[in-house]
Amino acid sequence: MFQNRAEALALALPAAVFATLVFLLPVAILLSEGFRAGGAWTLSAYTHFFSETLNRTVFLRSFRLGLEVTAVSAVIGYAAAFAIVNLPPTGKGRLIGLVTLPLMISPVARTYAWIVILGRTGIVNQGITGLGLSAEPLRLLFTETAVFIGLLQLFLPLMILSLISALENMPRDAIPAARVLGANWFQVFWKVVLPLTREGLVVGGTLVFTGSLTAYITPAVLGGSKVLMLETLMYQQVSVANDFVSASVIAFILIVMSFAANILLKRLATARNRR
Amino acid sequence: MSDAYLQLDKLTLAYGDTVAVKNLDLAIGKGELVAFLGPSGCGKTTTMRAIAGLLTPASGRIGLDGADITRVSANKRAVGLVFQSYALFPHLTVYENVAFGLRLKGISGADLDARVGAGLKSVGLTAFAGRKPAELSGGQQQRVALARSMVMEPKVLLLDEPLSNLDARLRLEMRAELQRVQRETGVTMIFVTHDQVEALALADRIVVMLNGGIEQIGTPEEIYNNPVSSFVADFVGFDNVFALKEGKLMTPNGPIALSGPAPQASAGLAWRPRAVVLGAGPFQGTVRGTSFAGNSREYLLDTPLGAIKAEIDASLPPHEIGSALAFNLPVAGAANLKRFG
Amino acid sequence: MSIRLFSPIVLFLLLVFLIGPFLIIIAASLSAGDTLAFPPQGLSLRWVTKVFAVESFRDSFAMSMFLAVFGTLAALLLGIPAAYALSRYRLPAAEAVRTIVSLPIIVPGIIVGLALLRYLVVPFGFNITVALFFAHAALVLPYAVRVVSASLDNLRSDIEEAAVLLGSSRFGAFFRVVMPNIRGGVLAAFILGFVTSFNQVPVSLFLSGPGVRTLPIDMLGYMETTYDPSIAALSALLAFLSIGIVFLAERFLGFSRYV
Repeated sequence: MFQNRAEALALALPAAVFATLVFLLPVAILLSEGFRAGGAWTLSAYTHFFSETLNRTVFLRSFRLGLEVTAVSAVIGYAAAFAIVNLPPTGKGRLIGLVTLPLMISPVARTYAWIVILGRTGIVNQGITGLGLSAEPLRLLFTETAVFIGLLQLFLPLMILSLISALENMPRDAIPAARVLGANWFQVFWKVVLPLTREGLVVGGTLVFTGSLTAYITPAVLGGSKVLMLETLMYQQVSVANDFVSASVIAFILIVMSFAANILLKRLATARNRR
Repeated sequence: MSDAYLQLDKLTLAYGDTVAVKNLDLAIGKGELVAFLGPSGCGKTTTMRAIAGLLTPASGRIGLDGADITRVSANKRAVGLVFQSYALFPHLTVYENVAFGLRLKGISGADLDARVGAGLKSVGLTAFAGRKPAELSGGQQQRVALARSMVMEPKVLLLDEPLSNLDARLRLEMRAELQRVQRETGVTMIFVTHDQVEALALADRIVVMLNGGIEQIGTPEEIYNNPVSSFVADFVGFDNVFALKEGKLMTPNGPIALSGPAPQASAGLAWRPRAVVLGAGPFQGTVRGTSFAGNSREYLLDTPLGAIKAEIDASLPPHEIGSALAFNLPVAGAANLKRFG
Repeated sequence: MSIRLFSPIVLFLLLVFLIGPFLIIIAASLSAGDTLAFPPQGLSLRWVTKVFAVESFRDSFAMSMFLAVFGTLAALLLGIPAAYALSRYRLPAAEAVRTIVSLPIIVPGIIVGLALLRYLVVPFGFNITVALFFAHAALVLPYAVRVVSASLDNLRSDIEEAAVLLGSSRFGAFFRVVMPNIRGGVLAAFILGFVTSFNQVPVSLFLSGPGVRTLPIDMLGYMETTYDPSIAALSALLAFLSIGIVFLAERFLGFSRYV
């Protein structure tokens, strides 16, 4: 009954055609703009893009922040995941719910809170001036630190959930076995937990890294034009400088990173299934 | 030449590039209970699905009650099918499952109620009308599936491995049930099975299939006593099957003479374990293994003809493992095979 | 042992970090004062009621709602047949279809918005709202296909054959027998799509114009100029909306089973 290929195509085609026309084609054309100049295929747009200091700074900053957020989220993630995994079932369920909760809330709302906290009259500054640690309120917003904190808060749940899954799939007795053999906690982590949860770490890390790299709202709200990241730079190039070629270059970089991450995640998933 | 009630002519069925059934010819009479018997992959289920209309033939013709239904779509064929998994609609009650096809025909109200009620009554599930399939046992689900098809008064009822999923006791009950339904309604029934015991017990006629073709068609007695090929012989329990060449048995140790004159035009001979005569005969063997089976004792013999399986009454004195034994394969007790290989 | 002390401290700090800011927003939105501050100067619902009165917020909320509901419906309308084809048939080029339909998850939204602006809106004078609608539908399509596919894969196909043999057309069999049994998956896909679309920002960044703005974009614009608790109140309300929807979905649907 499900033999008819024409039927199958008729059912699948509308979605495929829609996605191609509305999505695939426009994006492909946009990307091609970065590789053409005066009707010829060339990499001049890319060399020009990276010749500008601002662009290089933004590019490096985005990668650097991405790595920093990933590294810190991994450390906190392991600690949190470990604590959660050892809770009794009801507590565990509730904690996982609480960790997942922020993911349901709009990034605008989540990022906005930091304005209240890090602003000139925000909580942190109130504390600092109140305690007399500084005469003037510190400028905490529109700094890399602010963007870092915002991104961390945004993506930490993803890392934690990933590590929880990895820890739960670890053989239950691996840690006690290592302890009995004389390992201290650092050795237990480095030699037992890390290798066994490596996949979860990679999954979480990939999600956090690509998320940070392709973030818009957090850098926009907490970094503004002082701390530009790839997407906010892109927005600026288009809306202010009408520079679509630069936008195309940035778009290409973002897509390549995103694709690479996706392929990596797919490969890990199939490797896990094969086992 | 007039068609049988259900007529398959030169039917070829394929899945993509794989041919499952080739040039099949089959005539089934009205009211017959036929079994399609064979190992997996022989094409029996494929043929059944083609009769139902779930598979379009690559070539050939299907006729039902005088009409050519080869190109008629499955929902207009008046053919019923009880799936191996029963395929009950999980979101509907038993009543609604049985009523499904009737409602599609526009039957409603008191008429619908009467027919569904009768259907449920005939399978003994009136009390379960309001339940959902998930609340029923396997046997009960099967009876709902049966009722659902039967209330449509199909011209042919197909059943896919109806007894395979049931335990021994349920199997007997369901066998009796199917026979009763067939007797009372006279519906033409075809069931597909890989179990020769089921086929022999239920069917009026058995169609033995292999590799997309028919090996033999016959009554259960004919299939049981007179298999025409080595495959059928092996399938229905002839454990000692030999090819025949120039009047000699072809064994793993070369050709060996028979104990009597070979029958004419025979490609092979097959003996059931019961037909092997132990204690006297021109052949010698050693008892390798023995097992007690209640009424009988089975023996596995190592012989120059290869391994021979024999069976004698349990009341007779047993033979020890390792003992040497004379035995005979009397030509009179053999099934004469027309085809070998 | 230090482990036993370690856990509660870590968890406490974690929750403070993850949820604390959200609680602060709620508190700030209940402020009676004129500027955004924490701790709030007095308690009042004035900002919460004010956001309902601001016309621009009402309009952009309506736009976001429209996109979320109808964009997701469009995605389902396209996605359910595609999922059915992928699940039930041996589709030629199945992998290609699956990939094309999944791409919107991989490509950052801002790029899509820009591309549509540049190649659809500007050269062809395409209506921005329509372009936004297409963009949101495309964004949700992968989720629709994925979730509905999972539901279909869990449903045996022989009940469709049974329905056909009892006299139903193929089309009728889909509505009578398949849909009732994948209802949960379709609903879950709708909710997932709705929340995704509603919270989406980058896609809508470039596809904004006079009178055409999604709520998050409107909020971003407002934030740049005004420093009062309106945004806090709006953020809090939206957060409760999202959480409420997902909570109800979990409670009555067992949402997490489908995603």
